Amino acid sequence: MKLGQKIILVITGIVLVVGIGATCYVFYKPHRNIAKEKPAFKMEASGLFGEFNMNEDLGNEKFGDQVIQVTGKVAEITIDDNGISIILNNSMEAINCTIDAQYEERARKIEFGDSVTIKGRCDGFDMIMGVVLSKCILIE
Amino acid sequence: MKLKYFLLTIFMGLMWGSYAQKYITKSGRVDIVSNSPLFTVEGVNKKVASILNTETGELVISMLIRSFEFEEALMEEQFNGNYMESKTYPKSIFKGRISNIKEIDFAKDGTYKAQVEGKITIHGVTKDIREQGLIIVSEKMILAESEFYIPLSDFDIKIEKAFKNSIDDKVLLKVNFKFNKQ
Repeated sequence: MKLGQKIILVITGIVLVVGIGATCYVFYKPHRNIAKEKPAFKMEASGLFGEFNMNEDLGNEKFGDQVIQVTGKVAEITIDDNGISIILNNSMEAINCTIDAQYEERARKIEFGDSVTIKGRCDGFDMIMGVVLSKCILIE
Repeated sequence: MKLKYFLLTIFMGLMWGSYAQKYITKSGRVDIVSNSPLFTVEGVNKKVASILNTETGELVISMLIRSFEFEEALMEEQFNGNYMESKTYPKSIFKGRISNIKEIDFAKDGTYKAQVEGKITIHGVTKDIREQGLIIVSEKMILAESEFYIPLSDFDIKIEKAFKNSIDDKVLLKVNFKFNKQ
């Protein structure tokens, strides 16, 4: 084989590897695993609501996109085609937790008034929903 | 003790009376679809809040940007980071009304056309918007549906040069709310 051919072969190889790598990175990069992440904050549901209610911007800055573990009483359970939501604290001052699909089975056993601990990613705050936690898992 | 329950019943009755025309959902759904020759980007938010006043037609929609889910983790990251900048602009809001509310009979089952107009805030930019939708009334619930396009450039959402050809400026929004009747 001529030197020129070798170089072309090597370059083609590199391009292929980089290309496949980049494709894998884009399409197969795993989602963040909330279950394995250590919570940045552990707190009572009422306390978390209070901080957001006092100052939404500060709340977003402090808790936004963070994994938070909250403990509180179950005030509402919604089960529909969009999944299971468990509302902690109370309906007007809610911590609104969307349960991760893998934990739906266990979430179905939870009843109104139970005291539970839930870990999830904080998406932010809204007047209607309260503090929203996503991809929530149940802690014993 | 009995008096307490009696008063409570009356109070609840009054509450129900005054709130009867207001319907709330906390688990509405909004899909976003961006089609292009190279690939399709699809995201879904299943945690959209909305209040519909069937008396006045007032409609409020609120959603958190971080609640959008994408099949690919990287897309989700890009969406939150470069495009929507969810750290700075964590939510999107619509405030407006169904202008032809009088033409919709919420007591009678059926599918009605709805004209929706108001102000929408995305990525910190507020614009007037006017779209059409459907209101489907049934015994147990009120469904609200709409599909419309939003130009990213209107809301100051920038696409990097490298992706200019693979991401369309117009993004399709599919709105799907289910308001339960009490």
